Amino acid sequence: MLKSLHVEGTTLLHRLSVRTKLAVLFAASLAVFLTVDPFVLGGAVLLSALVFATVGVSFSQAVSRLAWPLVSIGLVAGATAFFETPVHGLVVLFRFATLILLAATVTASTEVGDFMEEITRLMMPFERLGLVNAADIGLALGLVLRFVPEIATRYESLREAHAARGLPVRPLKMLAPLIILTLKDADMIAMAIDARGLRRH
Amino acid sequence: MEIRFADCSIHYGETVALHPLDLVLTERRIGVIGLNGSGKTTFARAINGLVKPSRGHVTVNGLDTSEDGPAVLGTVGFIFQNPQNQLILPIVADDIALGLKSRGVAKAEVAARVEGILMRFGIEHLARRRVHALSGGETQLVAMASVLVTEPDILILDEPTNQLDLKNRKRVIDTLAGLDEAAIVVSHDLSLIESFERVLLFHEGRLIADGMPGDVVKAYEAVALC
Ligand SMILES: Nc1ncnc2c1ncn2[C@@H]1O[C@H](COP(=O)(O)OP(=O)(O)OP(=O)(O)O)[C@@H](O)[C@H]1O
Ligand SMILES: [Mg+2]
Repeated sequence: MLKSLHVEGTTLLHRLSVRTKLAVLFAASLAVFLTVDPFVLGGAVLLSALVFATVGVSFSQAVSRLAWPLVSIGLVAGATAFFETPVHGLVVLFRFATLILLAATVTASTEVGDFMEEITRLMMPFERLGLVNAADIGLALGLVLRFVPEIATRYESLREAHAARGLPVRPLKMLAPLIILTLKDADMIAMAIDARGLRRH
Repeated sequence: MEIRFADCSIHYGETVALHPLDLVLTERRIGVIGLNGSGKTTFARAINGLVKPSRGHVTVNGLDTSEDGPAVLGTVGFIFQNPQNQLILPIVADDIALGLKSRGVAKAEVAARVEGILMRFGIEHLARRRVHALSGGETQLVAMASVLVTEPDILILDEPTNQLDLKNRKRVIDTLAGLDEAAIVVSHDLSLIESFERVLLFHEGRLIADGMPGDVVKAYEAVALC
């Protein structure tokens, strides 16, 4: 079961600074839009898959992390192929697959705490302009990274509860209780953030 | 420390969770007991201002929870009934440091204080552990550490020994006994509060007994079994 997006390790990627990783991710997300050559983009997918493989995520973990994002871009790519041309569809698929693989690499090799600090630091100039509260953005990001895997855990326990009572397990039927449970927890987490004084007002 | 409820009542829509209450608390160890749904959590949350009075006032050391919210939150630390949700960062030491960092404490001091609180709780070995992989007892201790590191004067614990095995229960009780801070403990675990200076019994949103543990527990048994 997916408990944490981060993977323990001391690989090169783990040791790179958060800033470097974010900069590379940012550069890559611009670069994939500079070309429409499916061969170049296909190469990019392979390359990023190789990079992802070095972080030490097991195969089953990789599947559980990437399945849903890849299925959803698969749908978008399918639609593009249908309404435009198959080559267009392939280009869309390769572009986003590259980005998803690279983003997954960054989250797997970076501690949430380090992530939050770096994002907060990056947002400081915008805070000085009076546009945002940097610490809030860092905290929001940290919360997403910390609690998204918990939604998966909750789905699993709902599934078990259904199975234990001999009820058919239908993912769509579980959506409503899953949302309610998640909102309830979100409420508690928000309260805890206030109680711990984690936001300056 | 002084906590004062002045004609304070709390409603959730139609439900009256706390009927008008006048009360002054100054003791160092206060227990809160009562049946499920009797209003204990509501009462506890009113003290640190997470729940605001629908009518009347709650003050902590002279600070009004409705007007001086942030100052009250700085004075009163709160450990939730389910402390897992209270730990925000995945690594124990990072999570404990978070409260200090968001208060603008300098980096070197953060590290020293985190280490200090881990030592105080005897959980140095948990520093690099992941919060989702802690046992119930460890989670409880880490949650207490993450709150106490910011040095509140008063600590509120909502059912701290709920779901703990005997060994972890003893650890939490021992830790609690050694606290310098004042503590208000909501609990169904009656032996936990038997040595306290004062115990409050809530029933259907009303304070119906207030005094020494022995007497209040007797009153509790009377309402529970009738
Ligand atoms: N957020 C809320 N919205 C509506 N009603 C609530 C809310 N929180 C509590 N209540 C109601 O207020 C009453 C008191 O609840 P409270 O949680 O304070 O009880 P409790 O004594 O802590 O119970 P337990 O021992 O089960 O934790 C209950 O009737 C409950 O249903
Ligand atoms: Mg309660």
